[in-house]
Amino acid sequence: MAGSAASPTYPVTLAAEEPATRGGFLQRAWRVGRRRPAAIAGAVVVTLFVVMALAAPWIATSDPVRTDWAKIRKAPSWAHPFGTDDLGRDGFSRVVWGARISMQAGVFSIVLAMAIGVPVGLAAGYYRGALDQLIMRLTDAWLAFPFLILAIGLVTILGPSLVNATLAIGLGATPTYIRLTRGLVLSTKEEDYVQGARALGAGDLRVMARHILPNVVSAILVQATVAIPTAIIAEAVLSFLGLGVQPPAPSWGTMLNAAQQFLEQAPWMAYWPGLAIFTLALSFNLAGDGLRDVLDPRDY
Amino acid sequence: MIEFLVRRAFISAVTLLIISLIVFTGVRLIPGDPARVLGGTDADPAGLEEIREKYGLKDPIPVQYLRWLGLALRGDLGESIRTRTSVAWTIAIKAPITLELAALSLLVAIGIAIPAGVLAAVRRNTVWDVLASSVSLCGVSVPNFWLGIMLILLVSVRFGWLPASGFVPLAEDVLGNVKRMLMPALVLGTGLAAVLMRQTRNAMIEVLSADYVRTARAKGLAQRAVVVRHALRNGLIPVVTILGLQMGALMGGAVVTEQIFVLPGFGRLIVEAVFTRDYPVVQGVVLITASSYVLINLLVDVSYSVLNPRIRIRGAADGG
Repeated sequence: MAGSAASPTYPVTLAAEEPATRGGFLQRAWRVGRRRPAAIAGAVVVTLFVVMALAAPWIATSDPVRTDWAKIRKAPSWAHPFGTDDLGRDGFSRVVWGARISMQAGVFSIVLAMAIGVPVGLAAGYYRGALDQLIMRLTDAWLAFPFLILAIGLVTILGPSLVNATLAIGLGATPTYIRLTRGLVLSTKEEDYVQGARALGAGDLRVMARHILPNVVSAILVQATVAIPTAIIAEAVLSFLGLGVQPPAPSWGTMLNAAQQFLEQAPWMAYWPGLAIFTLALSFNLAGDGLRDVLDPRDY
Repeated sequence: MIEFLVRRAFISAVTLLIISLIVFTGVRLIPGDPARVLGGTDADPAGLEEIREKYGLKDPIPVQYLRWLGLALRGDLGESIRTRTSVAWTIAIKAPITLELAALSLLVAIGIAIPAGVLAAVRRNTVWDVLASSVSLCGVSVPNFWLGIMLILLVSVRFGWLPASGFVPLAEDVLGNVKRMLMPALVLGTGLAAVLMRQTRNAMIEVLSADYVRTARAKGLAQRAVVVRHALRNGLIPVVTILGLQMGALMGGAVVTEQIFVLPGFGRLIVEAVFTRDYPVVQGVVLITASSYVLINLLVDVSYSVLNPRIRIRGAADGG
């Protein structure tokens, strides 16, 4: 980050350096991108999936939930490039619409986790003391629940649906952000520019929002790009188990659940939804690796 | 040393207590009469009264919690709504299957990850490194249940080499058991292997540039001796910590893997329990998995502090 390299003598002018950081970001992105074509490819594929999710009604060739008894489990053909499923629904259209559900669950759950985890971690790291102890013990206990077991427990209480699966995944990912933010805050708040801001009479909220947060945000964003593919897979798993998106909605997980019953008769039902999850998760991971290089060159 | 152990054990005990609070509260959050939640919708009035009596459901909530905790500590996790058998007993029967699956997956993961990670670190920035890292990245990104389905499709449906599903107890038929456990262990082990490989590579790279490794090289030791005897031993320390932390992912992964390969373990038990609204079973399984996770990591930390004095000094210095 440019912030930590800035002269500590004039800490309050840091906010004014924002435009310079942006220019630096693009330049660095270009340099890293040229060196790491895989990261660029990942980012491009992620963008394509986003476009696919947003433009699903126009890309899909037919209604993803319309059943057709004349077309049950047909092998891939020109009319149905991904074949049809056990209810005669078009596989391609279902995979396209499935991107919407996966993206929703993946992105919103991590946004939720950050919305809770970052402020809580910020408070714990900034105020320390009893509050910190309480938050960290709760976080430890929360982390002890295996992600999927926690999600299953929450879905049991809330009932299975896309919204509840997203909530469960988000709550499961929250402690990671609490810990990460707290750790970053602990090291950042000792920096001279934070001390300087405090000496100039800035209040707690101002110091946290204007001086600490901007300096920890890049590490949090990098963590998010790693967490989103995990969340996407988690949604697919929950839906596969029947605890997430409910049929007939086209989720990649529920499609794989149906596919498992017809592996011998209609293997194509299993290829595409899984390949979609794999491609999206892989692309996110590749792009995330690149983003880490761009945002945090110190590691490399 | 003693102070560190006491401190670490105390923190674990607090964590366990909070876990029990979360699980207790979770069950109370389920809408409806708690007696009905624990007894099932078809329980008769006498049965409901018995449950109210046992858990003291007419007492204040804190008293209820203490009573529930006391019963749980004595191994009484209630009764399954569906089968009317003790939850603790049900879990005890299912656990060995999941433990076997987990143990085999660990073997698979370690067997792949450590050699691959060491190779990638020793031959850093070569084709081997890129290959190992790429495979690892794919391993992290592939949903393991899809990998399982694809394996069944290839190995069982296409070639007919291994049975696609089912379970044979190890005691009855060793070969039959291994045949049915091989694919699930491979599937569950892959994701873990990918994570471990990255960690091994990073840890080894760091260790290989340490002074004592340079000394070992300088005194003329062969590459193999330097890597195995000097670097690997220290390089594995952070890897084992990660292994402990990954136990949660392994338990979660077991749920899906058992579902795909129809293994009657812990994971299938909880999924069935969710669908049949068998709340006492869900509660029991969640409580047991979270507690064992805490205990496993306590053991990992303690065994480390015994093996490596530096950790217990650092651990005591930065507190909890």
